[in-house]
Amino acid sequence: MSYQDTYSESQVILTAVKIIAPFTLTYGLFMTFHGADTPGGSFQGGAIIGVTVLMLAFAFGIEPTREWLRNAVLVGLVAGGVAVFIGVGLAAMALGGNFLEYDRFFEVWGIRQKWGMEAIEIGGIALIVAGVVITLFFATAAGFTPTRTDGRGEDE
Amino acid sequence: MIELLASRYAYALMFVLLAIGLYMMIANENLVKKLIGVNLFQTAIFLFFVAVAYVEGGSSPVVPADPDPGAQLIASPLPHVIVLTAIVVGVALTAVGLALIVRIYAEYGTLREDTLREVRADD
Amino acid sequence: MSAVAYTLVVFVLLTAVATALFRDVLSAIVVFGAYSLGMAILYTFLLAPDVAMTEAAIGAGVTTILLLLTIARTSRPSSDRIFERVNVPALVVCGAFLVVMLATVLPATEAVGDPEAIAWANPEVTGYYIENTYEDTGVQNAVTAVLAAYRGFDTFGEAVVVFAAGVATLLVLGREVFA
Repeated sequence: MSYQDTYSESQVILTAVKIIAPFTLTYGLFMTFHGADTPGGSFQGGAIIGVTVLMLAFAFGIEPTREWLRNAVLVGLVAGGVAVFIGVGLAAMALGGNFLEYDRFFEVWGIRQKWGMEAIEIGGIALIVAGVVITLFFATAAGFTPTRTDGRGEDE
Repeated sequence: MIELLASRYAYALMFVLLAIGLYMMIANENLVKKLIGVNLFQTAIFLFFVAVAYVEGGSSPVVPADPDPGAQLIASPLPHVIVLTAIVVGVALTAVGLALIVRIYAEYGTLREDTLREVRADD
Repeated sequence: MSAVAYTLVVFVLLTAVATALFRDVLSAIVVFGAYSLGMAILYTFLLAPDVAMTEAAIGAGVTTILLLLTIARTSRPSSDRIFERVNVPALVVCGAFLVVMLATVLPATEAVGDPEAIAWANPEVTGYYIENTYEDTGVQNAVTAVLAAYRGFDTFGEAVVVFAAGVATLLVLGREVFA
């Protein structure tokens, strides 16, 4: 991997991130979970959670952060978010309603509408946004290794 | 004229930003700056939507549990939702564009449009 | 409209012009980050805290970081000049666009924040959401209600677009690391 060379440890950034990161993570989670009654919601919360990981990557180096997070976790986050979203929508259809018709949950299982919405907000959108932000960051950071300059041949 | 600009400042700002974004897309030779221009253009459109939703002397779109009907000045939530999703889609699109730029650089070794054109003409 | 908001408008304008004119890409990116932040604060003044938070986190944060990573991966052309040379034909085209828009479209718009404006004072859209949000969905934040309930299908499509963009980026960069 060619992106080790851009990393240099900085005391200022490291210390600042160590202090700020817990707060931004808490803030992102707060925003995600309190999106129903206060300004905020899963898009914002997910983005802030994603940005927290980006900050960590800047402080501790991108490659160590990526190893710590593991790719399977990221793919699971994004794909799982989409799956939860589809799942909730289809569950409403299976119960005889329309796609994402939360009323059905209340009529069949007695779950209030609000919880159906929270499910797609927290379990769906927040995961997708956080996962995609982190994935895009790591993908862009890794860059594209040209095959012709380093002579590795056509292994892509 | 001044009065028109003062009462419609957000729309006027939007048009100026649209023009700047357009200029960046046309005139800047560097592909990264072109993409920044696209983003600038995009935020101008977001500003339009947010300004449409705005109501003077109102409050943000959080309705109390016991709304008293008719007397509420609350910013319209619908344009906010549209912009919210558009921002996230926008950053995803930007990332795809940047990935293409990284690929172009790996292939041609330049990010300048004029140089790219020459290199491609030589091929 | 308060003086703070007008100051913000001027700030946003200045940073936008600086973004367009700075020759150094790094400077342009940093100024563009400041522009996004100014825009986010302007959104809060326009009563859109949800949009402002997203813009601050994504526009000023993530976009800036992605742009910075890209120039770290590619090149940052060095130059003695601080500003770009102005491209006169492009400037004429964009100036004409601006003049036409300001002369024709701007007078047709309604004053910002006018409670009588059609876009806002629409009982079938805005009025409906404001009156029925809590009753229909049980949440107080109307933006969340529209996002997840009234327009859930839209949001679903949008989430899939974001997902697809993530996949597309990995494809373009040819990363098998996320396999």
